[in-house]
Amino acid sequence: MKITFNLNRVPQYLDVEPGEPLLSLLRLLGMKSVKEGCGTGDCGACTVLVNGRAVRSCLMLAPQIQGKKVLTLEGLGTVDDPHPLQKAFLDSGAVQCGFCTPGMVLVAYELLLRNDNPTRDEVAEAISGNLCRCTGYVKIVDAVLLAAQWKREGRWR
Amino acid sequence: MHRTGIRRFHLARDVEEALSLLSAYGDGGALLAGGVDLLRGPPGQVEGLIDITGIGLSQVGEARGGLAVGATTTLTEILKNPAASAYVGGILCEVFRQVAVPPLRNMATLGGALVSAHPWGDIPTALVALGAEVRWRGEREGKAPVEELYRGEFRGLFRSAVATEILFPPWNGAFAYEKIGRARYDIALLNSCCGVGIRDGVVAWARVAVGARPDRGERLPWAEQALVGQKPRESLWGEIQDLVQGQVEVGDDRRAGAVWRRHTAGVLVRRALVRATEKAGR
Ligand SMILES: Cc1cc2nc3c(=O)[nH]c(=O)nc-3n(C[C@H](O)[C@H](O)[C@H](O)COP(=O)(O)OP(=O)(O)OC[C@H]3O[C@@H](n4cnc5c(N)ncnc54)[C@H](O)[C@@H]3O)c2cc1C
Ligand code: FES
Ligand code: FES
Repeated sequence: MKITFNLNRVPQYLDVEPGEPLLSLLRLLGMKSVKEGCGTGDCGACTVLVNGRAVRSCLMLAPQIQGKKVLTLEGLGTVDDPHPLQKAFLDSGAVQCGFCTPGMVLVAYELLLRNDNPTRDEVAEAISGNLCRCTGYVKIVDAVLLAAQWKREGRWR
Repeated sequence: MHRTGIRRFHLARDVEEALSLLSAYGDGGALLAGGVDLLRGPPGQVEGLIDITGIGLSQVGEARGGLAVGATTTLTEILKNPAASAYVGGILCEVFRQVAVPPLRNMATLGGALVSAHPWGDIPTALVALGAEVRWRGEREGKAPVEELYRGEFRGLFRSAVATEILFPPWNGAFAYEKIGRARYDIALLNSCCGVGIRDGVVAWARVAVGARPDRGERLPWAEQALVGQKPRESLWGEIQDLVQGQVEVGDDRRAGAVWRRHTAGVLVRRALVRATEKAGR
């Protein structure tokens, strides 16, 4: 079936299988930041933003994004030109193996879009559905708070 | 992860279209709301999916002193809604903030939770305690208390009907919700939602529900009766805790044992009643 949607601000017109998971469609389109950890909604590695809200792409089908705006990490920044939020993760030592990082960055992005002065508890709540086997979370929370500070200082583009 | 069984996907435009597609597919069709449960399950049986998120059932409003919530309203939308936040001292927000995690709450709908009716779920226990009713459209229109539906074979009903609205009645008093899981993000090992109304210094009405027993949330009418007419006091909470620990029906499953559940049910009911009474006195 035909669907149209917007991926990282670029319009897409595609023919998809009705049962195609959004996660696998995005990876086929080259969005390799979107990871499959569990495939059952538990880990958060497959997080993307749909119309500005973080969702589990493993629990969505491609046709559900008809007419919507999808944002993956690729739409946020690049290796050469990282988004300030990505830079905050690197500067804070919040990245180890990196498998959880795209999902963490996107749930943090959703939070900071609505609240650029969150408390530690609010950050912990926002990332509570994203599992990290490496960092112990403390540095991830530090990174989000640093990015929030940069946002308040007008250092986000 | 591939849902290979799904051959067709429909974005229904209104309730009528959703119903006619549902009847055309017979057993091979399913309504899709947030998809959190439907797309997590094993692929197979479903041939045609009917997405009902665009049929105008996502809204929250006051209704006859209580609250009316459209079935496809997501838990996040309810949490952000001022009328829902104000309903009976914010009890819905107290419950929904403990359901799963933010990205899942962005997807999951109240109607989906009502129909899935997980025995370990937070929402079924709260719906029963709060005396919520559900409206639906099928061959005919219908409305029933959720508590009554859960006692019967409600799953058959929603194979050929769309739940359209959940109605929460007004309560002159307060409710509190208690949940115990292994971790904050985990599902409940046991939960309880209790409410009280205080008039002239005594309990005028009480609602006591316990869920994840491991069976689905149910009211304990004998505990409610034991509260009515009593003066709220420390010894009353102790008596109710003992009563619940003596009479509540609990069982074993792989998550927790019956002995632990029996003891903890009394503790959770007591905690919920103490907090509800404090709130009611404010
Ligand atoms: C990882 C994870 C953690 C979770 N944690 C919790 C938790 O802590 N507490 C808790 O209470 N729940 C929890 N849940 C369950 C979740 O909250 C509910 O099951 C969810 O609300 C289902 O809603 P949905 O809109 O996604 O339903 P869907 O998956 O879209 O539908 C579920 C079922 O209901 C039917 N249906 C949906 N809408 C309607 C309608 N309007 N009319 C008729 N039939 C309908 C569908 O056909 C399907 O059979 C968790 C789920 C996951 C995946
Ligand atoms: S892969 Fe989607 S939540 Fe784990
Ligand atoms: S950095 Fe390895 S899982 Fe988080």
